[in-house]
Amino acid sequence: MSETDANDGGVRRRTLLKAGGAAAAVGLTGVGINAVGEEAEAASDESGRETVHGNCWICRASCGQEVTVADGKAIDLTGVDGHPKASAGEGREGTLCSKGMGQLNKTYNPNRIREPHIREDGELRAASWDEAIEFAAQRLEEFAEEHGPEKFLRYQGYPLGKHPWHDLVFKNLYGAPIKVGRKTTCHGPFSDSWAWMSGYGREWPDWQNSEYIIAWGRNVMECFRGQWEPKGVLDAKERNDATVVCIDPRYTKTAEVADQWIPIKPRTDGALALAMANVIIEEGLYDEEFIGNYTHGFESYKEAVADKTPEWAAEITDVDADVIRDIAIGFAEAAPSSVAFPWTGIAYQSNGFKNAQNIQALNGLVGNIDSKGGTRQWTAGFGLDDPHEKQGIDVPANYEDQPTPDYDDYPFQRHVRDLSHNLVPKAVERGDIKGFVNNWSQPPKSGNTRAWFEALEEMDLVITVDAFWTGVSKRADVVFPGASQLEQPFLQTGGDGSYSTNGWVTGSKPAIEPVGNCRRDYQVYKALAEEMGWGEYFPWETGEEYYDSQLEAIGLSFDELDEKSYEIVADFEYRQYEDGGFDTENGLFNFDLDAKPEYKALADDIGVSTAPAWHPPDDDLFGETTNEEYPLLFTDLMVEQFSRGHCQALSQSLEAYAQRFGHEDEDYRGNYLHINPKDAKARGIEDGDWVKVQSADDEIELMANLWEGIRPGWVGTENGFGVGSAQPDEEGANSMLLNKERHVEPTTGMTARNHPVEIERLGGEPR
Amino acid sequence: MTEQWGFYFDAEKCIGCHACTVACRVRNDVEADGPKWRRIVHAENGTFPDYEQVSVSIACMHCEDPPCRTVCPTGAIEKRNEDGIVVVNQDKCIGCHYCAWSCPYGAPKFDDNNKMQKCHLCLGEGGGDGYGSPPKAKEEDGGTKPACVDNCVGGALKAGPMDELTKEVTDSAVNQATQRKGNIIIEAGGPTVTFESESD
Repeated sequence: MSETDANDGGVRRRTLLKAGGAAAAVGLTGVGINAVGEEAEAASDESGRETVHGNCWICRASCGQEVTVADGKAIDLTGVDGHPKASAGEGREGTLCSKGMGQLNKTYNPNRIREPHIREDGELRAASWDEAIEFAAQRLEEFAEEHGPEKFLRYQGYPLGKHPWHDLVFKNLYGAPIKVGRKTTCHGPFSDSWAWMSGYGREWPDWQNSEYIIAWGRNVMECFRGQWEPKGVLDAKERNDATVVCIDPRYTKTAEVADQWIPIKPRTDGALALAMANVIIEEGLYDEEFIGNYTHGFESYKEAVADKTPEWAAEITDVDADVIRDIAIGFAEAAPSSVAFPWTGIAYQSNGFKNAQNIQALNGLVGNIDSKGGTRQWTAGFGLDDPHEKQGIDVPANYEDQPTPDYDDYPFQRHVRDLSHNLVPKAVERGDIKGFVNNWSQPPKSGNTRAWFEALEEMDLVITVDAFWTGVSKRADVVFPGASQLEQPFLQTGGDGSYSTNGWVTGSKPAIEPVGNCRRDYQVYKALAEEMGWGEYFPWETGEEYYDSQLEAIGLSFDELDEKSYEIVADFEYRQYEDGGFDTENGLFNFDLDAKPEYKALADDIGVSTAPAWHPPDDDLFGETTNEEYPLLFTDLMVEQFSRGHCQALSQSLEAYAQRFGHEDEDYRGNYLHINPKDAKARGIEDGDWVKVQSADDEIELMANLWEGIRPGWVGTENGFGVGSAQPDEEGANSMLLNKERHVEPTTGMTARNHPVEIERLGGEPR
Repeated sequence: MTEQWGFYFDAEKCIGCHACTVACRVRNDVEADGPKWRRIVHAENGTFPDYEQVSVSIACMHCEDPPCRTVCPTGAIEKRNEDGIVVVNQDKCIGCHYCAWSCPYGAPKFDDNNKMQKCHLCLGEGGGDGYGSPPKAKEEDGGTKPACVDNCVGGALKAGPMDELTKEVTDSAVNQATQRKGNIIIEAGGPTVTFESESD
């Protein structure tokens, strides 16, 4: 790329068009990088534009993109028609969400880190790639000699697609055995409960074929894993006349499309699920055939729900008993084409594991597991080749022999080899962790913020690959400026998409050259490996070559895939468990988790049942709840504009978010405290006021948004803002300042995100 | 008029996601803090727990008899004969904002030079005036869809010649549309939204 490009903060089409002739004369090297043969040329019109493919990775959903490129610049985007992630299926239109549309804003963002940086005499300074790679390699070698590689923590946020290069260098070759499990920052309670009950941790709803959808603590119309999800729900409504029930203390866009919004009392979801089971069993609406042939622990489930009547649950949940009966019967009668699907609303709870287990048990009870319109067990139905194996390269597993620290005093760590996010500062304090490598992630925004900041200062070596200056990159010793999604090759396979019974592959070449001195992932890891003497494990020139080798398994070249954007590869059937059972200890769907030794030991130890059971959020084990001093419950929320924490530097998204809550006329571009007018009035708070959220441990300040769509007694804000964020002025509040080491869900070590607080109106202007 | 282009909106399919508003900016090269040619109103009603919201995507509706044109003192606003799209000749615009006051949809916006700009149904590039751009072609003739329509997740937004749009929708939506001066078809069952004029 030319110098002009490197310094171009944000592409402006008008400027570009006016400067068209001049730009051509400079001779941009990025022009037509995707031009492979006649097809690409044919896609290029008279204006010198061409349409190439990409895969959106802003929320790691991999929606197929059509990217318009002119003179080496990406100038427009839309979704690929028929794409498994971007569309509702064959012949259907592909789209991108507002976050995805913000990708140009990300790529050409003036705040992007464009040069490698190294820390010298305590200060970060720009460096050449050669310098930075050499510096990193030397520091890594010194670190291994002094502390051992086992004290180097891996923390991966958003490496593009499923590329293995980060782990290849740091896990297999360097030998760092521990990473922070994503399950402890996002989805542990429901993915672990599912994995232990049904053998698969990330099942997905067959939305478009469903007849009864319960979005439970899940805002599927906004926080989706691809455009196919909201499209699937709309299809189900239109084509199947499906009933959609939204269970959430806040009125979301899912509540907007739902037939019924149930603003449940927070953290009581498990009680509601048990009462629904009580109704389904009383009414004889359960699936006897499925239970008889494929499940374990039905008796203890039955026993657990025997006295959990709708009237019992109504008192706890504040959901009318008749409503509980109605949704239980509706859900059961639509089975097996019905689905109760929990997500982060459940995972964020201190009693989230038991609540998720109770909800998941409902799906087993009515037999909608892996069924048409039910909840599917993911499978791609095919595999890709291992390029190393094909080249006869034996990749070492140097991490295997490394010692790992013992955290027996933290029960949840017993069955998680990886560290719980909130325990990292403790591990640093104990001397078990002394450095870490970070890839596109902002750990201080995922829990235990203050302790994480201190831990970062304490560490001997911090290496990061990122695009923006954040709480981590500002504190790093080496900063590698990573290429953004449009600048990278991409490959991904899956089954979770709009093709209910097909596995698919999607892939794309880089649409443009990296801006500035940013580098593609493969080139970063290859250079580092070569410097450390491991060049033999990176024999391919580019990531594209590596992907090409992987794709040979299905007889497709990377060129061909890029041209098509996606390919439907395999067929797989519903009800795969009928052939070989579930991938669990006993091959059965487990209502009762006594068959899972790790969980049984933990449950015995902490004194909870292995069967579905109700555990209120205020007992000694499950943590704190509101009291006179802190009468409101505060939680973290997500919205469509920011469903992932690292997107917050994007001005287009910030603008859309401000519009969404009617504050676009304010200068403030931080997050809002959503509070019911009733709670606000009692505190003299008006819309747009600056308020303080005070917990027993800490406090944050942000702007109030008065809203009838949020349950009185409950308040919340969107996460990802404030100190440590990618926004240059760190505007807004980092909600994780309220979170401390002890705020974890006791089974999975997941960051618990509910805090008793009091809210106070402040004078002055928002900061 | 040879043809009249307009929008179709179905609130049942709008998920309020703002893909249309951001797509409009990306396609037309409007900065994040620049004028909002398209916006979403999250209209709300009721108190907790009897509360509901509906999302409505709004832009210039290319009115049959545009009040902005009527009040424009310099004749900078035109309703094009070939496709009915309301465009602005920015060379004639004096930035008096009369158009913004008269518009029921809050469509006219002003750039740093105080020249009016707004939705032009994605005619040509940038600027928002559309003045001097070729007629809006039908999609099958090679015309492109507006960015908002192209990126509408739920298929809630459509655009095209009104006589073609009306073929696909319910009778009551058509009846409602013919009573409006704006060229917008709102699918039956959708919200009753009062548009309030707003200026930048």
